[in-house]
Amino acid sequence: MRLGIVRGHLTLNTAVPAFRGRTLAILEPVTMENLVARNGMGGGKSLIAIDELGAANGQMVAFTEGREAANPFWPEPVPVDAYCSLIVDTIDVHS
Amino acid sequence: MFLARIGGTTVATVKHPTLDGCRFLVAQRLEADGSAAIEPIVVVDWFGAARGSTVLVSTDGDIARAKLGNTTPARMVVVGIVDPVKTAVSSDRSQS
Repeated sequence: MRLGIVRGHLTLNTAVPAFRGRTLAILEPVTMENLVARNGMGGGKSLIAIDELGAANGQMVAFTEGREAANPFWPEPVPVDAYCSLIVDTIDVHS
Repeated sequence: MFLARIGGTTVATVKHPTLDGCRFLVAQRLEADGSAAIEPIVVVDWFGAARGSTVLVSTDGDIARAKLGNTTPARMVVVGIVDPVKTAVSSDRSQS
């Protein structure tokens, strides 16, 4: 999982049936430098992830990428490659 | 699989139900020269790796699925804690 900050949400007009009713979050991955500095900035390349936890703008989440991102929908075939697995409460890191 | 250095821990109340009770560590992937990746990763740990230690991380979700069920999104798992690593890189470079 990587860490990302929620920067917004996405609404689809037309979508594959498996995506109907899903929440899509726009995430900005966080670099170690920004994480240690606790400046609320990301620094990575943005991506879209399915969010079932209800993360709000500005909250930090950990997201799974790859085939495992579709596991929560097993055995349903959902074409997802990023999934918000947890909302971060606290992080304790030193560089 | 790759090596990563543990930088700290993270706590999450709201998470996928299969992740309840898991220990999450913040780690940085290590390159062959010992430098750390720019972006940190969150790994699931069942070994109790300490901050500053080097661990072997597997990105195969099979271990997580076996332990947490088929619907778990967990992927990166600590599969071992590493003793000091010896690589040939530094000696090769000094010869060339």
